[in-house]
Amino acid sequence: MRPYLGAEVSLIAIGVTLIAGVYLVAVLDRVLGAAVAGSPIRTRLFLAEPALSAAQLLIQGRRTTERPDAAGWVFAPALFLGLAAVALAMVPLAPDLVVADPATGFVVFSAAIAFVMIAVFLHGWSPNSPFALHGAYRYAAQALSFQIPFLLAMLATALPAESLSIVDIVRAQEPLWNVVRQPMGLPLYLIVGVAVSFWGPLNLPDGSDLADGTSVEDSGMARLLWKLARAAMLVAVAAMGAAGFLGGWFGPVLPGPVWVLLKTLLLLVVLVGSGHLLARVRIERFVTIAWAILIPLALLNVFVSGFFLL
Amino acid sequence: MSTEAVLLVAAALFGIGVYGVLSQQSFVMLMMGLELLINGALLALVVLWARAAGGNPQGQMLGIVFMTVMAVEMTLGFALITGVYRVRRADITEKLRRLKG
Amino acid sequence: MIEGTLVDAAFWLFAIGSVVAGFRVFRTDSMVRAAFYLLASFAGVGGILVLLGAEFLGMVLILMMAGEMLVMAIVMVMFMMNPAGLNPMTMVHQNRTAAAAGLAAFVVLAAVGLLGPFPDHPVPEPAAATEELGIELLGDSMLVFQTAGVALLSTMIGAIVIAGRKGRYGIADDGSEEPPLQPDEEPVR
Repeated sequence: MRPYLGAEVSLIAIGVTLIAGVYLVAVLDRVLGAAVAGSPIRTRLFLAEPALSAAQLLIQGRRTTERPDAAGWVFAPALFLGLAAVALAMVPLAPDLVVADPATGFVVFSAAIAFVMIAVFLHGWSPNSPFALHGAYRYAAQALSFQIPFLLAMLATALPAESLSIVDIVRAQEPLWNVVRQPMGLPLYLIVGVAVSFWGPLNLPDGSDLADGTSVEDSGMARLLWKLARAAMLVAVAAMGAAGFLGGWFGPVLPGPVWVLLKTLLLLVVLVGSGHLLARVRIERFVTIAWAILIPLALLNVFVSGFFLL
Repeated sequence: MSTEAVLLVAAALFGIGVYGVLSQQSFVMLMMGLELLINGALLALVVLWARAAGGNPQGQMLGIVFMTVMAVEMTLGFALITGVYRVRRADITEKLRRLKG
Repeated sequence: MIEGTLVDAAFWLFAIGSVVAGFRVFRTDSMVRAAFYLLASFAGVGGILVLLGAEFLGMVLILMMAGEMLVMAIVMVMFMMNPAGLNPMTMVHQNRTAAAAGLAAFVVLAAVGLLGPFPDHPVPEPAAATEELGIELLGDSMLVFQTAGVALLSTMIGAIVIAGRKGRYGIADDGSEEPPLQPDEEPVR
């Protein structure tokens, strides 16, 4: 039985990490937006603004539509947040400091990512509104397309480890980090990582061309919860990228967990910054790219890393 | 979690699947019944693998074959439903009276 | 394979949830909910598989079924008359016969399960089920693995051919019909 944190400590750890991570994503969004646009970075305002906008959403009135699927509408953000928590629970901070380390941790993480499809579809289907359903269908196309490149990109990291457990995958990077051994892996992972939480250039389901897509009828607490869940999933994806590609807890001077946080911060800057640097991609183009370009690249990545292992 | 309890659950899933397959008029609901059948069979297979076959890896292999069968059946089922709808405008079994065409 | 009351409680939770969800698939009015009830049933079975020690099979089942049930929900919305369940309706035929057949199947299989003399040969601890499966997949059962791969590929190609918009006999939006046997006959229907 691998060592893991106790139940209460785990809950607190994941809760704190999610809240801190979501706040960090919100602040980074504003800071990077100001940096790219060339406007001054108003530190105090940017640090306080996420809390202010969250408070404003909380006092906003609840809005409903005609004959919604009420249970599904409430369930979708909760499911999304739960999946983000499960995905984050798979990331190890140190060889003996992990919430859960099943022998098939990689598959649990991938299952959590796959279930996001269900959460977004429910969120778009439930309000009984055309733009929301449109957004849900877009995410269905987007998610089914990126699943295979996602699995293949992460699978290549499991090859040197000869194990599906995330702790083993990080341990196998002791001689050399995966970003150096498998150079195509991290860019692929980041591209589909942006697609999982539909951030920035791949914000097709909740895009502004659909008047906020699946969130079009959301207001108040539900809207806040959906935004939180999306940001939380982004944090989980960044954390797993840090563990799988950037060597997890390995680093010269600082203790292991601090390195994990620093690497997660780096990937978060990249993921959140992509929203301010890249234009939104059309769904047809993304689907074509995912099936025709990303899958061959991911397969090539797996073959090359397997070849060098034999 | 005795073997009997799990086999009972598998039998229940299989029974619900049989009800679904025989009673549903719509093609898609019929396929959901088929999925439940394979679900029950998979559960029975794995409990016997774990309790009575001593963890023989070929049991897991058969489980993988079951899941492949599930995927194949769903894919071709949906493709055929689409094809039949386009040619015959039929979305329930009652509308397909002849096998020809 | 792990023991304990927590495991038993989890098993009964998954088991009852799975069976109830499976039953509600056929009793609900909203078709999208039916697809997601089936997903809940599969998730329950996946959980039981993990409890039994087949970790990889259980988690891969959950992973696969998420995608499959999403596609099923979309197909429901395409083909069913009442995807949101706004009007209550039942579309069943031979309901009593089907219920009797289901009950008979359950009774027979439960009798086999309860009375059958299954050998008691549990998985030896510690079980590295995933590792053994991997070695088996690429060792003794390599032929099965390759056949499954080719079968899946041909399924994909076949499904695209059958359901693609450019059908076999023309654009599907015009109702891709087979040409008649003789040039001036009626098309085969």
